[in-house]
Amino acid sequence: MENFGMRRAQNGLPGAAMPDFTAVLRRYGVLQEPPPVQANPAGQSQDPLLAGLQTQATTILAFKFCGGVLVAGDRRATAGNLVVYDRADKVLEIDRYSLMAIAGVPATAWEMARMLEHSFQFYRRSQLQELSMDGKVRALSKLLRDNLGMAMQGVGVVVPLFAAYDTEEATPRLYFYDVMGAKFEVADFAASGSGSPSVRAVLQYANAYGPRPLAKMNEEEAVLLALRALDTAAENDTATGGVDRHGRVYPLVKIVNQAGISTLPDAVLVKAYQRDLQSLPKNALTLVETE
Amino acid sequence: MTEEPYRWIEAIANRREYIENQLAAGSPIAALSCADGVLFVTVSREQQKLFEIYDRIAMGGIGHPGDIERLRMSAIEVASAEGFNRSANDVSLRRMAAYSLSPVLKNAFEQIYGPPFLARMLFAELGRNGEPDLLLRLDYDGSFHVNGGAADPERFAAISGKEHSAKMMEQFLSGKQCAHLSSAEALPVALEAWVVGHLTLAREEGEFPSSEEIATHRQEQLRTGTLEAVLLDRRAHSNTTFRPLKM
Repeated sequence: MENFGMRRAQNGLPGAAMPDFTAVLRRYGVLQEPPPVQANPAGQSQDPLLAGLQTQATTILAFKFCGGVLVAGDRRATAGNLVVYDRADKVLEIDRYSLMAIAGVPATAWEMARMLEHSFQFYRRSQLQELSMDGKVRALSKLLRDNLGMAMQGVGVVVPLFAAYDTEEATPRLYFYDVMGAKFEVADFAASGSGSPSVRAVLQYANAYGPRPLAKMNEEEAVLLALRALDTAAENDTATGGVDRHGRVYPLVKIVNQAGISTLPDAVLVKAYQRDLQSLPKNALTLVETE
Repeated sequence: MTEEPYRWIEAIANRREYIENQLAAGSPIAALSCADGVLFVTVSREQQKLFEIYDRIAMGGIGHPGDIERLRMSAIEVASAEGFNRSANDVSLRRMAAYSLSPVLKNAFEQIYGPPFLARMLFAELGRNGEPDLLLRLDYDGSFHVNGGAADPERFAAISGKEHSAKMMEQFLSGKQCAHLSSAEALPVALEAWVVGHLTLAREEGEFPSSEEIATHRQEQLRTGTLEAVLLDRRAHSNTTFRPLKM
């Protein structure tokens, strides 16, 4: 631990007037100022060489159902044509009631998640109260905005989803963000990443023409729909990982509601897959190992 | 004035007396390690006196609220910056006190043209992976004293406005075996230690208060003040272990 105190002027412990954690980190020299926002000089959105070097996390989705907000992500991380990792966690717990799901470059996204987690805790500890829902949502906007300089040069683009249970209003909330940090609150569902066109189509269809809208679904139906949406994405998008039958790697599904965050165990997902399989015609795609 | 060393020593002695007088009314704080974690107990009038510093560190302070606030913020900042930059496992109370807080307090105390910190603090850190808990008293002049840890079997600590009052509290606690008590069982013990501290604060050094005195004083004080108790919960499911307790 550095001798932070001694670096200040005499008697100069920090004041209480600055509760912002990023400002504290900058003062301690832990965090650099964000780079200036500058377009890529080549005029390209991304250097093709860079595309092969940058690890990307792909497909995530979230929607509201009657038991809160469900957030799910596949497990694949890619760089260009290469599969880098098949057990990536793209659905991250920020605090007891907040989830962040990431699509884009994990190097940046995981750091953003860490920053959020720490700044919420820092706020609670220093101000002796929880940060409000709006404050939390805004904090992620600010991190994205700080990342814009890098994103414009094609490095570290992150497009996250933020799902939380609003304890003040006693209601689940779901937001998606663009690269610049604009936040959009959604009423029913959101998806991000390379597989998101398929996911959106599936969710849109289920919401509008399914037996019941997403918001009316129970947990079992919601989980099944999420898995089906991710499977559809994996069929259409090479960067989205399906179910790895040999490695027994399943998507990550988390639910946030008034009780906090729960992670669905693999056994529940396997059961959902198996039930799904039985209800399909005989020659349908085999999704899970037949045990 | 400071060119002459003996004048400087005199100034320091005056300053020490002044600070001790300022702290003399401070309501005691008792902390002890029990089976459920580390328990902090005090009785407060208006202001909150027990605070969360980091995942496994809590703090209680007596003195000027402004100075306690500055030290609290500083401790939170140092711990949070370390926890973010490295990891939560790299945050250590001993290092925070020895390398960050103590030099600043000593410096402020000895720079006789600047204001000193009117604060006396009690920190505790929950031991990781079955390691013993650490209790640390940090004074306005930067000196600190560690109870607990690997070498010391005493798993409790107390601070009070006057030295003899804190000594009485520790004397009281040293006879109790709290290691196997739950937080609910340890709470009355810690509260009683507070009562001992508060009783002896009002008098000159002398006899240990009788049990009748303790019982009446306890009743009187709880009628006017609010019991404040927090637990660093050894069995917490999340990283955050700090939890205010209700009686």
